Amino acid sequence: MLKAGPAKKVIIYVGEEQKYHGASAYSAILDFLFYHGVAGATVMRGMAGFGADHHIHSDRILAVATNLPMKVEFVESAEKVEEILPKLFEMAGTGLIEIQETTVAKPAATGKKSRERAAEATTLRSESTAKIMWIFVGESDRWHDKPLYRAILECLRANDIAGGTVYKGILGYGANKRVHKGSTMLSHDAPMMITVVDTEEKLRKLTPTLDEMVQHGGLLVMSDVDVIKYTRGYAEDDRRKEARA
Amino acid sequence: MKLEGKAKMLRIYFGEDDNWKGQPLYKAIVEKCRTLDIAGATVFRGIEGYGASTLIRRPHLLSLSHDAPVMVSVVDTEAKIQQLLPALDEMVVEGLIAMSNVEVIKYMHETAAAARS
Repeated sequence: MLKAGPAKKVIIYVGEEQKYHGASAYSAILDFLFYHGVAGATVMRGMAGFGADHHIHSDRILAVATNLPMKVEFVESAEKVEEILPKLFEMAGTGLIEIQETTVAKPAATGKKSRERAAEATTLRSESTAKIMWIFVGESDRWHDKPLYRAILECLRANDIAGGTVYKGILGYGANKRVHKGSTMLSHDAPMMITVVDTEEKLRKLTPTLDEMVQHGGLLVMSDVDVIKYTRGYAEDDRRKEARA
Repeated sequence: MKLEGKAKMLRIYFGEDDNWKGQPLYKAIVEKCRTLDIAGATVFRGIEGYGASTLIRRPHLLSLSHDAPVMVSVVDTEAKIQQLLPALDEMVVEGLIAMSNVEVIKYMHETAAAARS
């Protein structure tokens, strides 16, 4: 597995129609890298280019778009590169091979692992104590040209808060003693309540932001809660994404 | 009016059809809160629920018979809430009143905001 730190980046230039033992050279190289445990590789097709023979390959006219330049790139540790390089020399044929010194800032992780990590990052856990926050605003309150309650919810999402729910009231009054009625169908001035649950630390960090948003009247209160269960259905989510694709 | 630091939150649950002296109970409670100068009260209508009577309250979208579950949320200092409790006790014949400790982060109204800026 590739680790963060110094590594080598290898770039192999071949022609699209270049062959290696009857198969396309680029796909043969990709297969070779795949079965030799290389961390990852990418094949790119160029639009135009020329190589050692100084013959321009271009995709300008579809009919004569022949032998376009192909680039196979991968990043691996120095030892691994040294191990597989002789074979790459053979496979690249007349093509160029370039090696660059590089630094892996963040190694790629498999989808499953990164999801597990994301779950770990969510500090809200089942069977723990947390805080619940209630935010009371008016339906007609606005923040930067959008409804305040929606802006608050978006703000919560942007700050990775575990969850928030907006409720619409049918009657109420607050600090300014004005009665908000939401019971009639055409009313747009209902009292709104947003409930938020997350750890105290995260909610305290967010308080100044919310404080600024709820400038024109509103109430923010906080209380202790016990979190009984907090889960998210990854599998379900993935299935939905697949269905959409 | 100022409200900050430790406070109490009341949640009162009953039915939308409950009445008090000829008007809906939720309206009566909000009015009572206003006469007592309570910081604020908000009424929410639920979509389904059951309570002390174990009768499921399920309002139908198109029918005119309601009796949806209703929740009134009230926040103020403990002293003010204590003033309100006897009245609620009398008004809420069938329902639930729950109280919890809360911390007020912000209590703000427009005139105060205007005065500050």
